[in-house]
Amino acid sequence: MRKLKVIIFEDDVDAVVRSLGEAGTVQFIDMREKLEEWKGVLVPHVVSTEALTKCSDLLSKIEVSFGKLGLKPEELPSVEIPITKESIEEVLARVERKLAELPVEKFTKCSALISRIDQLIEALGVETEELEIEEVTWKKPVEDVLVEIENELSEIEKKAETTGLTNRQVLVDRIKTLAVREEINVGRKLAELRKIVIESERFFAERLLNLKKNVEMARASIEEETKLGDISEDLLTLREIVGKEKQIAEVQEKFVRSTKTIYFEAWVPESNVKEAIERVKKATDGNSIVTDEPPARDEKAPTILKSCPSYMTAFEKLVCAFGYPCSGDVNPIRVLAITFPILFGIMFADVGQGAIFIVIGAILAFLRRRVKLEEAGDITRYLLISGEMFILMGISAIFFGFIFGEFFGPSGFIHPISLGRIGPFYIGGFEPTQEPMKMLRFAILVGAVHLSLGLILRFINEIRHHHYKLAPVPIYWLWLLLGSLFLWAYWGGISNITRWFAEGSLMLAGLVILPLLLILVFTGIAEGFMEGVGFSVEVFAETLSHTMSYGRLMALGLIHSAMNYLFLVLGGVEHGHFPLGSIPLIAIGTILVMIIEGLVVFVHTLRLHWVEWFSKFHTGEGIPFKPFKYT
Amino acid sequence: MDHGLISLIGMALSILVPLVSAAITIIICGTAMAGVGTEKPEILSRLIITVVLGEALAIYGLLIAFMLLSKIPDIATMENANKALIAGIIIAVATIFAGAGISYCGSSLIGATAERPETFSSNVIGVVLSEALAIYGLLIAFMIIGQI
Repeated sequence: MRKLKVIIFEDDVDAVVRSLGEAGTVQFIDMREKLEEWKGVLVPHVVSTEALTKCSDLLSKIEVSFGKLGLKPEELPSVEIPITKESIEEVLARVERKLAELPVEKFTKCSALISRIDQLIEALGVETEELEIEEVTWKKPVEDVLVEIENELSEIEKKAETTGLTNRQVLVDRIKTLAVREEINVGRKLAELRKIVIESERFFAERLLNLKKNVEMARASIEEETKLGDISEDLLTLREIVGKEKQIAEVQEKFVRSTKTIYFEAWVPESNVKEAIERVKKATDGNSIVTDEPPARDEKAPTILKSCPSYMTAFEKLVCAFGYPCSGDVNPIRVLAITFPILFGIMFADVGQGAIFIVIGAILAFLRRRVKLEEAGDITRYLLISGEMFILMGISAIFFGFIFGEFFGPSGFIHPISLGRIGPFYIGGFEPTQEPMKMLRFAILVGAVHLSLGLILRFINEIRHHHYKLAPVPIYWLWLLLGSLFLWAYWGGISNITRWFAEGSLMLAGLVILPLLLILVFTGIAEGFMEGVGFSVEVFAETLSHTMSYGRLMALGLIHSAMNYLFLVLGGVEHGHFPLGSIPLIAIGTILVMIIEGLVVFVHTLRLHWVEWFSKFHTGEGIPFKPFKYT
Repeated sequence: MDHGLISLIGMALSILVPLVSAAITIIICGTAMAGVGTEKPEILSRLIITVVLGEALAIYGLLIAFMLLSKIPDIATMENANKALIAGIIIAVATIFAGAGISYCGSSLIGATAERPETFSSNVIGVVLSEALAIYGLLIAFMIIGQI
């Protein structure tokens, strides 16, 4: 990642941003945060609020026009926009003129007239099927016809209102007044009136239907003259242009300026530096100063994560949920994709349930290719992208199921397979529920290996960041971790701690005290004495508590085994023989265990990675690279 | 007191107290999650860790109770009965304080993450370290049961 520093003339700023936005490879740095450094020389570049307001105004006008035409811009094909060197104000003025020229109003007038006619016909309450419609022909211009129609419609509306055709209460009230004043027979008068009313209604309705026919013909003729497709394309182009200009104006808020020039900084991936500089030069006709440099020592450059294979998407989500990797760091996703299923499998060791996990994973992976992820709900989407993760976790569960002899719990169906022994650490070959201490030792060994991996990654990160003074620290830490483990194993556990200090004092000095002192010295040289003291105390405490924390591999493994055992006992399973009647019970037990235990084990695996493992090498303080691109 | 009764009390403590601790933790963190979920549903998937870690407390209790239950027929001496009682008390007290830690840190974590999601990775440490307390208690309780 390189940092561009650019000085350009005020007049060129819009063209430069527009051109860089087309490339979509540049992330502008917010210079307002760095203004202190430039105090008295540079001030924030304030984009005219007029331009922004105009953008919003034009965008809403365009949206209204789309609405009037009954079009949805999202459903229309996208359009290409030519690159221009004009300023934002000039572009917006051009758009405004063009928008006024578009014949949207003619279309909307027709639609408005039709809806007015429909309303009136409905108010009259006449069955329109029986009515006759005359054939219409006119030779006047469409605009004149529409004006005539509108006038006639207004007249009809007025008449219908005053005579009470659209408001029966008026009629009834009038007859009542007449009846009182002239003492006539209301019943007879009403019957007479009814006849008249029906006739007039029919007359008006016929007239209205003819008007409607006229309007529809007018609309058809307008559509013939100016094609709807052309207008929608024009509108879409205008919308895109204004949308872009708005983004161009907004991003300039990050720039600073002197009286005549604009200064900005931006991150560019190394492969795109040349192109970005070219674009700036071209947009300013060479009137610019552009330099590029690597990020400063303590500066956080944004990170571009190398794209992972699709089966790692779920692991990527797990890493990024904790925090984004820093630029230059080892990408933890690929390593996590291996260690995560292993730790999960140790706690969830079971051949039968592992196989079910593989089936579920395969179904999810299959569905993922069939279903549109964007349309799926939150939880469904998470499940769908985790298909491959389920398969990996299933494979690991089966592997450790064989090692610990678990088939739907400690049913005796499979006998534990031993993979060997390192000192007091047995790798498999025992049933965790029968020999929990062996399981605890195995868990601690796995923890030490996992933490060692984290420390090696920390060493690589320090080298990559050229922190040569701090680079030996993880090596000494590794020395401390593995040394303490050796000490613990050699003297037969913590219960013989007095012997560590008596016969083992030399070993203690060499394996624990020496690496701690070295950590103190090296951190002290790099960051100061007090930091060194603090850090070495932290290292000592972390080595102890983080390794102990892997004891949960044993605890959760035993809980998993014990919960399955409960259902095996209830079902009457003995020595690997499953009676037919036990199967429904085992099925219920498996579902329960897989849901409850699966979730708990998953979260604990995640926690071991997030807290114990990531704290060694992954701070999660990286910033994702988000180049300025038009949306 | 009869040694059978003492070991039963130990077992009862080891299941009931963690259950109550887990319930309180889930009540506090669950309601806090529901609150921020209405505003920012996209962060809920990360925050679920608080509720699940709370629930894990009950599972630790269940494990110890289960192990004690399988040992009860073998408990014939007062010494072993006391060990069973102490194991129960250890897991009970450990989960009470782990639960308190998760509830306080968890609800604050949920609120803070809703406001500033980037603070999650630092703030989650309080929750997971509180939960580690229960694991320490669990390991010791477990070792004591191993001696019965």
